[in-house]
Amino acid sequence: MLIYDIWFLFIYMFFVGNLIFVSKNKHLLVVLLSLEFIVLSIFFFFLVLLMFIDYDMYMLMVFLVFSVCEGSLGLSILVSMIRSHGNDYFQSFSML
Amino acid sequence: MFFFILTNNNSNKMFFLFILFFSTLISISSNSWFGCWIGLEINLLSFIPLISNSKNLLSVETSLKYFLTQSLASINFLFMILIKFSLLKNFNMNNIISIMMNSSLLMKMGSAPFHFWFPNIVEGLSWMNNFMLMTWQKISPMILLSYYFNKNFLIFMIIMNLIIGSLGGLNQTSLRKLLAFSSINNLGWMIFSIMISENLWLFYFLIYSMMIFMMISLFFLMNMYFMNQLFINNMNFFIKLNLLINFLSLGGLPPFMGFMPKWIIINFLLINKFYFLTFIFMMTSLIIIYYYIRIIYSSFMFNYFKMKWVNLLMKNNMSLINLSSFISISSMILSTFIFM
Repeated sequence: MLIYDIWFLFIYMFFVGNLIFVSKNKHLLVVLLSLEFIVLSIFFFFLVLLMFIDYDMYMLMVFLVFSVCEGSLGLSILVSMIRSHGNDYFQSFSML
Repeated sequence: MFFFILTNNNSNKMFFLFILFFSTLISISSNSWFGCWIGLEINLLSFIPLISNSKNLLSVETSLKYFLTQSLASINFLFMILIKFSLLKNFNMNNIISIMMNSSLLMKMGSAPFHFWFPNIVEGLSWMNNFMLMTWQKISPMILLSYYFNKNFLIFMIIMNLIIGSLGGLNQTSLRKLLAFSSINNLGWMIFSIMISENLWLFYFLIYSMMIFMMISLFFLMNMYFMNQLFINNMNFFIKLNLLINFLSLGGLPPFMGFMPKWIIINFLLINKFYFLTFIFMMTSLIIIYYYIRIIYSSFMFNYFKMKWVNLLMKNNMSLINLSSFISISSMILSTFIFM
C-alpha cells in the first residue's frame, strides 16, 4: 500500500541527519543542528507509529521533553566552549 | 567520589551525582525499551555537569566530545527501538536490528570499534571522574546489552576489544590512557561474561571496579598522571609494592585478586568450546601484563633508580594502601572461606 512508503521517509531523514553529524563541518552548531534534525525524524516516526496503533500521544510528549533537554545541554556546552575558546570552530580543538 | 566532592567545595555537584545513580537504576529496572532510553538520557544529562568546568579549556573540550558521542549513540538507540517496535521483532535475537541496537550500546560504553573517543576523554578528566566513567557509566549499557544481544556480532566485538585494548596501550606514556586501554580490554572480558550469565558479569564487574578503585585512589593520592612521575618520585617501598600488586592484579596474574574472575570466565569459555576465543583472551592478556610490568619492574630489581631530591612522604595515608594490598593478595584464599 502506498501509505507504508512513509517508512522510507523516516529512514532517509535519519540517515541524512547522521551523515551531516559525522561530516566535517566548520562550526559546532551544524553538528547540534543535525542532532536536532535526527530528533525531528524520530518525532515524526513516533507520531506515525502511535497513530497506527491507536495509542495516545503521551509517550511522544515524554520523548519531546527529553530530546529538548538534550538539545539545551548541547547548546550550553556550545556556550561554554565559546566562552573559553572564543568561537565554535572545530580547528580550535588542539588539546586532545 | 563523595569525599572528593565534599572537600573541593563542589557540593552542588552532589545533586548530579545522586541523579547519576538514579539514572542507572531507571535504565536497568524499566519494563520497556523506552524507559531504558530515558535512563540513558538522564545519565548523559547528569554526567556532563560533573565533568565540565568552564574555566578549564581541556574540560570544555572533553565534555563536548563526551556529549556528541553519547547523544548520537542514544538517539540511534531510540531509532532502532522504534524500528523494532514497528516491525514487531521481539523474539528473534539474531537479526540486523539487534546488531544496530548493540552497536549503539557499545558506542555508549566505549568498546571497540567505537572506542576512539574513550582514551581522549579519559585523558581530559581528573582521576575521580575517570573512576566514574570507567565503572559506573558502564553498568547500564552492559545490562541493556544483556537484554537483547546478537551472539555472533558480540563475539566479533569481543575479539576487537581485546586486540585493540592490548595493542593500543603499548605506546602510551600517560597513565590515564593506559588505564583507558586496559578498560577497553576488560570490556571484552565483561561482554563475554554477559553472554554466559548476568551473575557472572556482576562478579567480574565488582572485582574489576574494586581493582580500578585501588589503582585510581593510589594515583589520586600521589597526584600522578604520567608515567615519568612514577620514576622521579622517591617512593616508599610499600607504595611501590602496592603499585606492583595492583598492576599485576589488574593484569590477571595469580595469586592476586584479579585472577579469580578471569579464571572463571576461562572455565566457561572452555566448557562452551570457544577454543580460538580462549587463545585470543590469553594472548592479549599477555600483552597487557607486558606493559604493566614494563612500568614497574625496574623499581624492584637490585639496581633501581632512587632520586634524592623529590621525597614522597605518605605517612598519614598508609592505612588505605596497606588495606588495598592486603585485599589484593588475600582475596583469592579468603573467598574460599565464604562457603564454610
